Amino acid sequence: MITIGMDLGTQKVKAVALKDGAVVGRGQSFAGFDPAQAAEHAVNDALNVAGLKLSDINHFTATGSAMDLAPHTNSTVSMMGADAKAGVFLIPQARTIIDVGAEEARAVKCDERGLMMEFVVNERCAAGAGAFIEAMARALEVNLEDMGPLSLQAERASPINASCVIFGESDVVSLIHRQESKPEIARAVFDAMADRVTSMVHRLGITPEVVLIGGVAKDPGFVASLNRKLGLMVQIPVYPDYVGALGAALTAAARAKGAFK
Amino acid sequence: MNKNETVERRYLPEISRKEIDELKNTVKVSSQKIIADNIERMKKADPHRPDAMKYFDDIANLFGRRQQEIQAEKEKGKKVIGYLCLFAPTELISAADAIPIRVNSGWYDTSKLGDRVVPVEVCPVIRSTIGAKMIELSPFLEQSDALISVLTCDGMTKLSEILSDQKTIWGMNVPRIKDSTQSLRFWSDEIRHMKTQIETFTGNKITRNSLKEAITVSHRATKVFRRLQELRKGNPVIMGRDAMLVNQAYTWDDKKRWTEKTEALCDELEKRVQQKDWVCNSDTPRVMLTGTPMFWPDSWKLPTLVEEGNPQGIIVADEQCSGERILSDPIGVDEWSMDDMLNAISERYLMASTCPCFTSKDGNEDRINWLLNKVKEWNVQGVIYYVIRGCMLYAMEYSRVKKALDKINVPVYYLDTEYTREDVGQLKTRVEAFMELLNARVDF
Repeated sequence: MITIGMDLGTQKVKAVALKDGAVVGRGQSFAGFDPAQAAEHAVNDALNVAGLKLSDINHFTATGSAMDLAPHTNSTVSMMGADAKAGVFLIPQARTIIDVGAEEARAVKCDERGLMMEFVVNERCAAGAGAFIEAMARALEVNLEDMGPLSLQAERASPINASCVIFGESDVVSLIHRQESKPEIARAVFDAMADRVTSMVHRLGITPEVVLIGGVAKDPGFVASLNRKLGLMVQIPVYPDYVGALGAALTAAARAKGAFK
Repeated sequence: MNKNETVERRYLPEISRKEIDELKNTVKVSSQKIIADNIERMKKADPHRPDAMKYFDDIANLFGRRQQEIQAEKEKGKKVIGYLCLFAPTELISAADAIPIRVNSGWYDTSKLGDRVVPVEVCPVIRSTIGAKMIELSPFLEQSDALISVLTCDGMTKLSEILSDQKTIWGMNVPRIKDSTQSLRFWSDEIRHMKTQIETFTGNKITRNSLKEAITVSHRATKVFRRLQELRKGNPVIMGRDAMLVNQAYTWDDKKRWTEKTEALCDELEKRVQQKDWVCNSDTPRVMLTGTPMFWPDSWKLPTLVEEGNPQGIIVADEQCSGERILSDPIGVDEWSMDDMLNAISERYLMASTCPCFTSKDGNEDRINWLLNKVKEWNVQGVIYYVIRGCMLYAMEYSRVKKALDKINVPVYYLDTEYTREDVGQLKTRVEAFMELLNARVDF
């Protein structure tokens, strides 16, 4: 049984090839202006790594905000459904899964079968998501990947408002004018984001284990802030940005077997 | 009285006739397109749509037949009394031989115009109604000779003040604590005062007979409405959007004709039940809507997403003041004396309401009971808690509703939106994920 899961996110498209319950290939590409084309690239990369051809695939399942544009699709699954399935597949004790992507943060409560029981999504604003870090990195004139390590050097926290990217940016500018150091401002950015994500997760209720996935899970600065705000250590799988695509691939496998709709 | 000329505008901006006409034409064209599009999609959703829906499709055109009928009545000297909230005692209006009509606005475009007068944080129902007045878009609002505004929330309170720049407004003070005798006494006085006001304004005395007749008309409508709701308890025989349109059209249609047409619809649906002619698979998740009102036509956004989703859901019930609350409860008259009828009207409009503007010693427990009862009787599998931004009361009551539904293990999803059309993509993701969640629960 070979399936492909595609996650057409707002910034990147990820693909995972799954063979008999094991990941055999991954690929990703910038979504850009043509997410369908990007998905083709990601799928080809995953197939190349796995040494497979398109014709070997039993079932394609797409997820992500642009899932309706995905090529080859046999079925689709919601992002929350995919997160729950793959989260529990990777970390069987996972019951709360937090997914922080480029434009959206969400949290899913799931059961031991990897079925989503409940979910919450951040309000229509990217302040709790990856795009916020990007905007703030620009304001601080540092590289995106340096934001996390920089924030870890901070000695104290300066609060900013992350109710909105635009307001957040003007708060950051005020901190710059107050001549706060870059590490402190970077820490303020992650703390503000983590605050938003934490209140969102509290609306759902926190059931351990808590797993963090999505591209932002790769940022050590955000992870440190989130652990502090949640008062626990989130677990992070090895490829946090591929979890959605893996969930789609697992759904594809279940559907190919006719297990559920 | 033409308030336009006599009263200084305290809120509304001066707009030139030219701009009003231009904006009105643009918005009207876009609104007619949305109405047509909504109906087209409703037709597509149910290829065997009941014939009786044709009437409601026609009446759904807010710029069509009903507007002309009311105009003709006005020319014969009838008064039109608009209302902005379900607490307005429409039977008193009918009993004075005037036409009651609800004038809350469901247009997205006019909500953007309302932003010129009030901040965007204000609830879109209010902003949209202000915008509609500014460009004279709403036929029913324009045709109203006076408006009853019930001061249920902050938005409604100030809206009546804003509209009073151009309209005769009668405010009704609603008590916020529902279960006290002094509240009912107070409200009962408001109702009696409204009776006098309507009589003076129309020049028509409300008599025992005319009020009895008006209440009887309401009773018949409630009876047929309940028949329609009864039909939604079993396998789906009508799409939720169709039932919602029928339900809401009552607020602008002729009451007697509405009742006849809804009877005809029910007759047709009953035949379908016998023929086991369902509108969707019996395992389609059964959804109830609760929360802020969904006014035709722009607020059809969410019901459309539910019923056209992948996976699909079917709306079987709601607890909204734009929906079932309009007709759910009859006026309980014991003896047909004037006093008894007025008391019965007072009780019906106050006690039966589950609006979150109320509290009582048990909080707004009536609403919780309504929801739990609906879930059980209509076999609801999931609840969408719909909040248009700016409605504090509904937003704040969510935690309690969620706890109550958690207890009986029924999933509820809090969906916040606006009148905007631009967030459909994001809403689709959420609604479909919720439908998937409901499906998964059925599968296992």
